[in-house]
Amino acid sequence: MRVVIADDSPLLREGVAHVLAENGMEVVAQVGNPEALLRAVVELKPDLAVIDVRMPPTQTDEGARAAVEIRARDPEVALLLLSQVVEAQYALTLLSDHPHGFGYLLKDRVLAIDDFIQSVQRVAAGGTAIDPDVVSQLLGRRREHDPLDELTVREREILGLMAEGRSNRGICQQLFLSPKTVESHVHNIFGKLGITAAADDHRRVLAVLTYLRA
Amino acid sequence: MIRLLAVVLGGVAVVLGVAAYRVQVNNLTPHSWAAAQVVVGWAFVTAGLVAWLRRPANHLGPLMLAAGVAYLARQLRYGEDALLFTVFFLLGDLCYALVAHSILAYPSGRVEGRWPRRLVVAGYATVIGFPLAILLLHGSQLSLTSLVGPQRSLLFVADDAHAVTVLQKAQTAIFYGVLTSLFIALIVLRLVRATPRARRMLAPLLLAAVALALRAAFECFRTFVDHQPLAYPYLFWWQVAAFIALPLALLAGMLRARLARVGVGELVVALDRAPATPQTLQDALARTLADPSLELYFWLPESGDFVDAAGAVASLPSDDAGRAVTMLEQDGEPVAAIVYDPSLLEEPELVESAGAAARLALENARLHAQTRAQLRQVRESRHRIASAADDERRRIERNLHDGAQNRLLALALELSAAQRRLGDEADPEVDRLLAASVEELQSTVEELRTLARGLYPTVLTEYGLAAALEALTHRSPVPVQLDVYSERLPAQVEATAYFVASEALSNIIKHANATRGSIAASHEGGWLVIEIVDDGRGGARAGGGSGLQGIADRVEALGGRFGIDSGPDGTRIGAEIPCAS
Repeated sequence: MRVVIADDSPLLREGVAHVLAENGMEVVAQVGNPEALLRAVVELKPDLAVIDVRMPPTQTDEGARAAVEIRARDPEVALLLLSQVVEAQYALTLLSDHPHGFGYLLKDRVLAIDDFIQSVQRVAAGGTAIDPDVVSQLLGRRREHDPLDELTVREREILGLMAEGRSNRGICQQLFLSPKTVESHVHNIFGKLGITAAADDHRRVLAVLTYLRA
Repeated sequence: MIRLLAVVLGGVAVVLGVAAYRVQVNNLTPHSWAAAQVVVGWAFVTAGLVAWLRRPANHLGPLMLAAGVAYLARQLRYGEDALLFTVFFLLGDLCYALVAHSILAYPSGRVEGRWPRRLVVAGYATVIGFPLAILLLHGSQLSLTSLVGPQRSLLFVADDAHAVTVLQKAQTAIFYGVLTSLFIALIVLRLVRATPRARRMLAPLLLAAVALALRAAFECFRTFVDHQPLAYPYLFWWQVAAFIALPLALLAGMLRARLARVGVGELVVALDRAPATPQTLQDALARTLADPSLELYFWLPESGDFVDAAGAVASLPSDDAGRAVTMLEQDGEPVAAIVYDPSLLEEPELVESAGAAARLALENARLHAQTRAQLRQVRESRHRIASAADDERRRIERNLHDGAQNRLLALALELSAAQRRLGDEADPEVDRLLAASVEELQSTVEELRTLARGLYPTVLTEYGLAAALEALTHRSPVPVQLDVYSERLPAQVEATAYFVASEALSNIIKHANATRGSIAASHEGGWLVIEIVDDGRGGARAGGGSGLQGIADRVEALGGRFGIDSGPDGTRIGAEIPCAS
C-alpha cells in the first residue's frame, strides 16, 4: 500500500511514517503543506493520504480543504484525517460528503499502533474510521427520554463500534463474539432505535452517526 | 438725546399725519382711504422709533422712521398749493426707495452685497431724478397726480407735455418694472440661501416685502398693458395691507428678540431646577436661541480636547463651515464653545447673555462631559482588553496544539518505537518504564487538549457558535436542549456568547443539581441574545471573583447586558451582546 503523509510537524510526520513502514506500508512522500500534498497526490497516485487537519499558512483547516480537493480530483485516493481535536459536527460534515474510504482520528490514536494500523487498512480498503472520541461524545450525550436507555450494555458497545466504522467481522474480533451473535445484536439495536439497516458498512456508519447526532 | 429726538420726530409724524389726512379728504379721497394711508405712515414711524430706541447703533430704525415720514409727507403733493406740490412731488417717491432700502438692510441695518447696494442707489436715483426732470418740464396747469385741480411746478423751465408723459412712463417702467423685479429676485435668493434659522426669522418680513413688490410690479402692468380702473380699490387695499405688514413684521422680529431674552431668564430658572447634564444644557440653549442645530463643546484642560455632549472627542468647525462659534471663558481659560447658526450673529448679545446665564451650569456640565469622556475611554479600553485577551487565548490554544501537543506525541511515538525495537529482549523493567512513559505522555496530551478547549475551542473559530455550543452540550452530563441561530457573527461576539453559555453550563453541572437545561441564542436587530435556563436549586450569582462575574464583565466590556435570575425553581442567565463593534 502506497501512502503520502502530510503534516507540518516533521517530528510527528517522521513518527507516523515509521509506524506505517514498520507495518509493511510504503510511505512514498512526506510533505509539510497543502500545495505539496496536492502535488504529491497527482504525481505519485498513492492509495492513501494521511493528512493533518491544521497546516500552514493559517493553521486552521487547510488539511481538510486539501482533502476535499483531492476527493474531487481523484476519488480513488482514500483519506485519513488526523487532528488534535475531533468534533462530531466536523466528522459528520466531512463524512456525508465522502462516505467512501474516509477516516477522521485524533492524532493520539497513532500511539495505539495495532488499532491505528487496522483503521488505516480499513480506510484504504474503502471503509470508514471515525474516532472513538467523536462516537463517545455522541453516545455520552444526555437526552431526555433517551432511546439509548433501551439498549443493553453490550448493545451500546456494539453501537459505538459500528459508529467508528467497524464491520461486523471487526466487531467480532474486537469483542470475541461469534458472527451470529453480533448480527443478532445489530438487528436488535436497529430495531430498538428504528434505524433502517443500511446496505454497506460506510452507509451504516453515516446512518448511525446521524441518528446519534439528532 | 435720542429719546428727545424720537419724541420730536414722533410729534412731527403726528402733525404730518393729520395734514396728510386733511389734504386727501379735501381732494375727495374717501375717509377710509385717507385714514389707511395715515395708518401706514404711522406704522412705519412707530416701528422705526421702537427699533431706533432699542438699537441705537442699527440704521434700520432711522431708515424705517424716514420711510414713514416720507410716506406721510408724500400725501401733501395731492393739493393745489404750488410749493407743497413741488416739494413733495420731488421728494414723495423717496418713501418707496426708503422702504426697499429698509428691507434690504434688515436686520443688521447695512445693505450687504454688491447687487443689493447697486439696487438701493439706483432706486434713490430713480425716485429723485425722474420727478425732478418732470417738474422742470411741467408747464401746464393740469394735474400731475390724477386730481381735478391744476398743479403748478415752481421749478418749471420749459414746457413739454409730451416729454412729461414719456418721463412718467419711463419712471414707472424702470422703478416698478426693472428695479422691482430685481428686488424680488434678490429677496427670493436671500430666502433660498439663508440658514434654516435665518429663514425662519426672515420669512415674515421678506414675504410681506414680496407681496408689496408684486403690487408695485402690477403698477407696471396697469400702465402699459391694461388700465383696469375697476381693480383699483383692490390694488389699493392690497398695497395698504402689505405696507402695514412690513413694519409689523419688523416689530415682530424685535419682539421675538425680546421674547428670546425672556427665554434666557427661563433658561436660568430651568437650569437651576434640572440637573445640568451636557445634553440637557445643549437642548436648553438650543430652545432659548431657537436654533435646533446648536451644539455645545466642552473643553477638557487635561487632554486639551473639545468633547461633544456625548463625550466623544470633537473638533470645532472651521471658519468656512457656515457655523458661528462663541467661546465661553472663565478666568481666561476656555470652558466651552457654543456652535450655532450664523444668523444668530445678528443678535450677539442674545448668545452672550444665554452663555452667561448658562455659565454656572456649563461648569457643571463640563465636569459631566469630562466624566463621560473618561467613561468612554474606559469602555473602549475594556473592549480592547477583552479583545486582546481573546486573541491571546486563541494564540495560546493554537500554540498548544501545534507546538507542545505535537512534540509530546512525536516523543511518545519515538518511545514506543524504541520499545518495539527492543522487543522481547528488553529488560522487563525498561519495557515497563517505556510503556508507562508513553502512557504518561498520552494523558498529558489529553490534558493539554482539555486545557486548550477551555481557552478557546477550535470549533468556535472554524464553525461558529452553533457548532461550538453543540460540542459543549455533547460533553454535558445534564441533558441540554439547544436552539441556536446559524449564521456567523464577529469572532468576539461569538466568543463572548460561548463563554457565557460555557460558564453557565459549568455552573449548572457543578452546583445547580438540575435535571435538565436549555440554551437559546438568537440574532435580532444587531444583538445576539443568549439565555441559559436550568431547573436546579438556584443560588447562582455574580460577585466575589466568581466565574459568572468574569463573564458579566466580559459582556459589559462589549457594551452588552448581563443578568442572572436565580431562585429555588431554577436559574436563568441571559446576555445581550451588540454585534457591531
